[in-house]
Amino acid sequence: MTADEKHELRRRMRPPAFATLALMLLLAVNVTLGILVPFRHVWIVETLVVIAMILTVLLVSMELPREPPVIRFFAGIGFCWVGFLVAMTLVDYLTR
Amino acid sequence: MSASAIPAGPVQIGVEIEEQFHTEKQQRHAAKLGMWIWLATELLLFAGLFLVALIIRVQHPDAVTPAARHLKFAIGATNTAVLILSSLSMSGAIEMSRMGWQRGTVRCMQVTAALGTIFLLLKGFEYYKDFDEHMMPFLAWRPYELAHLPASALFVDDYYVATGLHGLHLTTGVAIVLVMAWQVGRPGYLARHQNRIEVLGLYWHFIDLIWMIVFPVLYLLNR
Repeated sequence: MTADEKHELRRRMRPPAFATLALMLLLAVNVTLGILVPFRHVWIVETLVVIAMILTVLLVSMELPREPPVIRFFAGIGFCWVGFLVAMTLVDYLTR
Repeated sequence: MSASAIPAGPVQIGVEIEEQFHTEKQQRHAAKLGMWIWLATELLLFAGLFLVALIIRVQHPDAVTPAARHLKFAIGATNTAVLILSSLSMSGAIEMSRMGWQRGTVRCMQVTAALGTIFLLLKGFEYYKDFDEHMMPFLAWRPYELAHLPASALFVDDYYVATGLHGLHLTTGVAIVLVMAWQVGRPGYLARHQNRIEVLGLYWHFIDLIWMIVFPVLYLLNR
C-alpha cells in the first residue's frame, strides 16, 4: 500500500472510527447511569442516549445521508412508523 | 483460500449488471432499497418485543425490577461494546472493498465474524448462568427463582424471545459474513459483486442497532 493509498484509507475510515468512539462514549454514559442510578427519572437521560446511538449508526455507519432520496424516504418512514406505534402505545399505558 | 494467499494490491471492482437493470448505479440502488425495506419489516418484528417489555415494566415495576437485576448487566454491556467494534470492522471491509483491497476486505470480514462469534459465546455463557440461577420460567420441570412474582416470568420470557431472535439474526450474519469472505477471496468477485458487501454491511449494522435497543430495554432501564 502506497503512502497515498494509506492516506486515502485513513480519510475513508475517519467517520466510522469517530462513530465507534462516540458510540463507546455513549455506552459508557448509559452503563454509568445504570450502575449509579443518580436520580429517579434517569430513564429519560438513558433513552436520549440510546436515541443518539441509533442516530449515529443510521447516519454514519449505515451512511443514510449518502443514499438517494428514495432510500432515505423508506428508511425514514420505517423508523418513524415504528416510533409512532411505540409512542402511541406507551402513551396509552403511561396515562392510565 | 487463506487470507495471505489473496492478492494484497488493489483489484478491479464493479457490479455485474443483471438484465433487468440499465446501469450499475441503478442496480446498486435497487439492492440497497430492497435491503432497507426488509430491515424496516425486521424493525417492526423487534419493536413488538420491545414494546411488550416496556409495557410489562410500566404495569408491573415491582416484579420486573428484580428480574432485570438478575440479568447479567456486565455481559450485556460488554456485548454492546463487542458489536460496536464489529461494526467498525464491517465498515473497514466496506471501505477496503470500495478501494479494491481484496485481502484487507477478507481480513476485516474475518474480524467481524470473530467479534460476532465472541458475542454469541458470551450470550451462551449468560444463558448458562441464567439456567444455573433458575431464571428460566418456561422450563416447567425446573423451579423458577422469582415464582412469587408471576409477572416477572412474562418479562423474562420476553427477554429470551428478544435475545434469542437477535442471536438467530447474528448467527445468520456471521455465517453470511464468513461465506462472503471466502467468496471475496476468489479472483474476480469484487469486479462482479462489490455491492453485496455494502448490502451485507447494512444488515450487520442493523443487528448492532437492534442490540443497542435490546440492552437498555431489557438490562438498563429502572435497574
